[in-house]
Amino acid sequence: MSILPNRGPNCGPNRRLILAGALAAAAMSAAVVPVRAVAAPAGRRRFGVTLHPYYSYVANIVGDAAEVVPVIPAGFNPHAYEPRPEDIQRIGGLDAIVLNGIGHDDFAGRMIAASAKPSLPVVESNADVPLLPAAGTAARAAGKVVNPHSFLSITNSVLQVSTIARELGRLDPDNAAAYAANARTYSRRLRQLRADALAKLATAGTASLRVATIHGAYDYLLREFGLEVSAVVEPAHGIEPSPAQLAETIATMRKLDVQVIFSELNFPSAYVETIRRETGIRLYAFSHISHGDYAPDLFEREMARNLDTLVLAMAEAAP
Amino acid sequence: MHHQIVRRAGAERETLWVLLAAGAILASATLAVGLRAAPDADAPLAAHLIDSRTGLTAAEQGLYADLKAAGEEIAALRTAEGRVPTPEELASEALPPFAADPSAAARGGHAWTLAETGDGVAYAGVSAAPELAGSLVLRLDGHGADIWLKRAAEAPPAPPEDAALSAAGWKRIVSTFTAGVTR
Repeated sequence: MSILPNRGPNCGPNRRLILAGALAAAAMSAAVVPVRAVAAPAGRRRFGVTLHPYYSYVANIVGDAAEVVPVIPAGFNPHAYEPRPEDIQRIGGLDAIVLNGIGHDDFAGRMIAASAKPSLPVVESNADVPLLPAAGTAARAAGKVVNPHSFLSITNSVLQVSTIARELGRLDPDNAAAYAANARTYSRRLRQLRADALAKLATAGTASLRVATIHGAYDYLLREFGLEVSAVVEPAHGIEPSPAQLAETIATMRKLDVQVIFSELNFPSAYVETIRRETGIRLYAFSHISHGDYAPDLFEREMARNLDTLVLAMAEAAP
Repeated sequence: MHHQIVRRAGAERETLWVLLAAGAILASATLAVGLRAAPDADAPLAAHLIDSRTGLTAAEQGLYADLKAAGEEIAALRTAEGRVPTPEELASEALPPFAADPSAAARGGHAWTLAETGDGVAYAGVSAAPELAGSLVLRLDGHGADIWLKRAAEAPPAPPEDAALSAAGWKRIVSTFTAGVTR
C-alpha cells in the first residue's frame, strides 16, 4: 500500500496547494502554447474517463461507435495523481467525460475548469446508485460524503453502466440505441460473473462471515453477499493507523470474533502483518482495479478475481 | 538646534505591532467563520419514507441496489417480449435478488410473487428473516421503479398502492445523490 499521506477523497491542504500549482502551470502553458483540441474523426465522439473501471464500462458501451480517452495515463495511481498540463490539454479534445464523481476523481472537476472546454458535458455515473456513507475521517459534509468505491460491486456497476449509456445516448442520439443494447449485453456478462461466483459458494455451504477490511473500499461488494464490515482498520484511505488505533482495532477484532481481513492487492503494509500475527485472522487481498493498462475487459478480469477471493474466504471460514 | 529623540532599547513597539497583527488576524478569521453560511439542514423525511443510506440494514442495502438494477432489466424484458416476466423466469436469468443463490439466503430468503397494480406490475418479496432484511415490494409503472420495505414477514396489501402500503406500515425507500460534494 502506498504510504502517501493524502490519497483518495481526503486530499489535505498540501495536496490542494500542489494541485493549485499544477493548474496554474497548466493555465500558463495554455497561454504560451495555444490549446489545440484533437479533432475526432467525423461522427465519432470522444468520451473521457478518469479511472480504470470506467474505461471498461464506456469501452463496452460504445464499442466501435466512439473513442474512449483516459485522461490519466496508465501507470498513474489515481489516489496519488496530480494533474499535469498535458493531461489537462487532453480534455480539450473530448465531447464529454464520464466521472465517478463521488470522491475518487475529484481532480477532474478542477482539470475541466482549467481546460479549453470548461463547460464539457459531465456524466455523473453514480447518479442512480444507492450510495453508502463514508467511514472514518472521510465522513463529513453533514453526512453527504459517501463511500466512493461504488465500482467495486457488480450491481452498482450495472446501475452505472445503465446511467452512462443513457447519458451518452443523449449526447450522441445517433448511437443511443446501440449504446443501450451494448450496455444491456455487458450488464448481463457482469451479472453472470456474480452468478458464477455464487454457484461456487453454493458448494462451500456457507454465506456468512465476520469481516474486517483495511480500508472502506469493499462495503458495496460485501453487501451483495449479505456481509457487513465489522471493523475498518485505516482511518482514511492510505492513512496508516497510529499504534493506539491499531491496538484498539486488534482488540475490536478479537471482541467481534472477526474471521477474515480483506486488504488491498499490490499494497503490502507492515501493520497488516502485525494484525495478522496478533490475531491469527486469515488475510485476503482484493484488487482495487486502479493499476495496469486500460482495457475493455480489465473490470471483468479483476472483478472475477475479487469474487473468487471472496468465495475462497467464505469457503475457508466455513465450519 | 536639531533635536533627535532616541528611544531606549526595548521591544515594546515591536510587541505592540505583533499583538495588533495577531488581533487583526483573529478578528478577520472570526468574521470569516461567522459569515460562512451553515450547511442547509436536510428536511426530515416524511413518515412513509426511509433513507437507503442511513435507514437500512446491510442486507437491505444490497437488496435495494439489486432491485433498482432489476427494475431496468425487467423493463427491457417487457419491451422485448411484450409480457411481464415471472419471478421464476427472473431467477432462471440469474437476476438478483430473484435468483435463489447463497446471497439470497444470507439476506433474508425472500419468497417472490408477482402482482398486478392499477397501472403496472409489482414484485413482492416476503422475508423469512425480517431481522436481517424486511419484506420488499418492487413496483414498476412504465415510468420507473419504486421500492417499499416493511420489517415483517408480511405480504403487501393488494393492490400495493401508495395509500394502502403506507396505511399498512410500509415505507418507500429513497436515495439521494449530491453531485461533486467532495470536489
